[in-house]
Amino acid sequence: MESGLTSLLDVSINFETSHLFFPRIIHWVIAVLFVIILVVHTIPFLLAVKRGEKTLPILGETMDKFRFFGSLALIAVYFHMMSVIGNMFPYTGYGFLFVSIVFVFLMSLMYMHTRTRRKVITAAINAVVAPSLAWFVLAKLFQITLP
Amino acid sequence: MLDILSVLDFTFFLLAGMGALVGIIFGSIPGMTATMAVAVCLPLTYALGLHHGLALLLGLYVGGISGGMVPAVLLNIPGTPSSITTTFDGYPMAQKGEGERALRVSVVASVVGGLISAAILFLFAPLLAEFSIKFSYVEKFLIILLALTVIASMSRNMLVGIFSGVLGIWLSLIGTYSITDGGNGKTRLMVDFLEPYLFEGFSLLPVLIGIFGIATILLEAEEGVKSGLAGQKIKMGTGSGFSFSIFRGRLTNLVRSSFIGTFVGMLPGVGGSAASVLAYTQEKNLSRDSSEMGKGAPQGLIASESANNALTGGALIPLLSLGIPGDSTTAVLIGAFTLQGIQVGPLFIPENTDTWYIMMTALVFANIVMFFLMFYAIKHIAKVVLVPKYILYPIIVMMCVVGAYAINYGIMFDVWTLLIFGVLGYLIQKVGLEVAPLIIGFILGSQAEVYFVKSLESFGNYSIFFTKSPIAVVLWLMIAASVAFSIYMGIQSRRKQRQEASA
Repeated sequence: MESGLTSLLDVSINFETSHLFFPRIIHWVIAVLFVIILVVHTIPFLLAVKRGEKTLPILGETMDKFRFFGSLALIAVYFHMMSVIGNMFPYTGYGFLFVSIVFVFLMSLMYMHTRTRRKVITAAINAVVAPSLAWFVLAKLFQITLP
Repeated sequence: MLDILSVLDFTFFLLAGMGALVGIIFGSIPGMTATMAVAVCLPLTYALGLHHGLALLLGLYVGGISGGMVPAVLLNIPGTPSSITTTFDGYPMAQKGEGERALRVSVVASVVGGLISAAILFLFAPLLAEFSIKFSYVEKFLIILLALTVIASMSRNMLVGIFSGVLGIWLSLIGTYSITDGGNGKTRLMVDFLEPYLFEGFSLLPVLIGIFGIATILLEAEEGVKSGLAGQKIKMGTGSGFSFSIFRGRLTNLVRSSFIGTFVGMLPGVGGSAASVLAYTQEKNLSRDSSEMGKGAPQGLIASESANNALTGGALIPLLSLGIPGDSTTAVLIGAFTLQGIQVGPLFIPENTDTWYIMMTALVFANIVMFFLMFYAIKHIAKVVLVPKYILYPIIVMMCVVGAYAINYGIMFDVWTLLIFGVLGYLIQKVGLEVAPLIIGFILGSQAEVYFVKSLESFGNYSIFFTKSPIAVVLWLMIAASVAFSIYMGIQSRRKQRQEASA
């Protein structure tokens, strides 16, 4: 005879729905932890924010908006253009090469604080050399697929 | 044996050496870590084959961890998180004009730490693997649970640590419940329009590269990519001043710190800073004369750097014997293994004895190369800390793209995964969640599911997790111990804060 306690822990898993079994447990764990953290940490933190003792992350901090959102936008355009140009020259890696040159140069310009002639020229040389080198070593020597 | 020797050709040593050099450079640049070095250089290994790839990656790992000392000593900025305690004594020494001396002490301590931990790895990993080979799904699940608990308990806040870990598991469940693992091949946690892309879930490496590469760039961009370093002068000092007599009477410190580093490295997901901080405080508590520590004492450097480098061997122990990464860099290494078609776990060492010996060779060799490069060429290497970020960062992004795109032979969605997890990694760190548990949860999540569900399918009762074997009971005790430890530490630090507040 099984004791009452063990039979309480009995479980049978239907194979058809077994892919949902573990995720369901994880959802419960996440929910419970979230509520606890909300009560123990988040609410006291928000109250402290209200009293002006602490600041909200991201929203309450000073950030370099131009460079942050600029980076995000530039990276997104970079990824998108790479596949667009890459489709024009399939299996050559030219999409990667050409778009990278433009991207590296623009990002360098964006991250520069003072733009002297010398710095811009360094960045331009870097923008041509680095992607070309990467493209040559990876796509030509190692035959790695590039966009 | 002959097979091994045939693999150890010139290219092998060249790659390990190159890896160490590039790693040192990455480590030397503040904000760039060994993890990033490994992630960025991964595409190079696609074409290299397993053994040569491993030589390169292990070189990068050792070099990356070591390189952190350079800006720590010269600029008071830890190049990798684990060199934080190196700044305490290294920077004051550099200010006194003893920069080169400080760096050389650190280099010697590093190589000793690295080699001691390699020896421990060599002796201990096969034993652990042999022991864990008998584990059934129940014990394997509990090992993963233990790993996540340990990581969480070492986090700043255990609750947040566990939450991050569970989030990581959740992310790993997206996609199909794989048929090859005994699942039913159905998808879950999915919206219809993403199904073609996410059928197999997010690929591991783009996720890692996104979190460690792109997120770092975003965090820096938010700060405005400060270029302050270029104006600083680095003080190397007049050279000389170093002799091995500095180490006289410091042997205990050296060995103790190396063991601490190795042990902390073994704990899954615990980053390097824990190891060096622990070794540093131990030296402070135990040494006869610690009055100079923090003002420029070589003994502080010895403790910090030997523990720091001992991490490398330590972190590889759970990776190679249990398949659980010991830190974020070894998490990327797991990806590299998978890429080469090798499953790390208890069977890895018995089934791939050659690879195992080759790895050890690469690890030891990388340590030696690191030593010679840094001991004799440190003056030149030190200049890298001044390379402007506006040159470096675009290149990093570009290499991240290559790594992500080529991993599954040209899938553009993997590149977008970079951006998704780059932004996610940024947000996670901003709202105060922890990256390390999240990553480990993500890596181990799908295995945890299989072990958990399969155990229940065959035994049909939850109590099996407690009653399967004595090992299961021991594992539960260890889980309880790590939770108790974390609570104890929490109470301690709160008491300390209160004392400081009242004082």
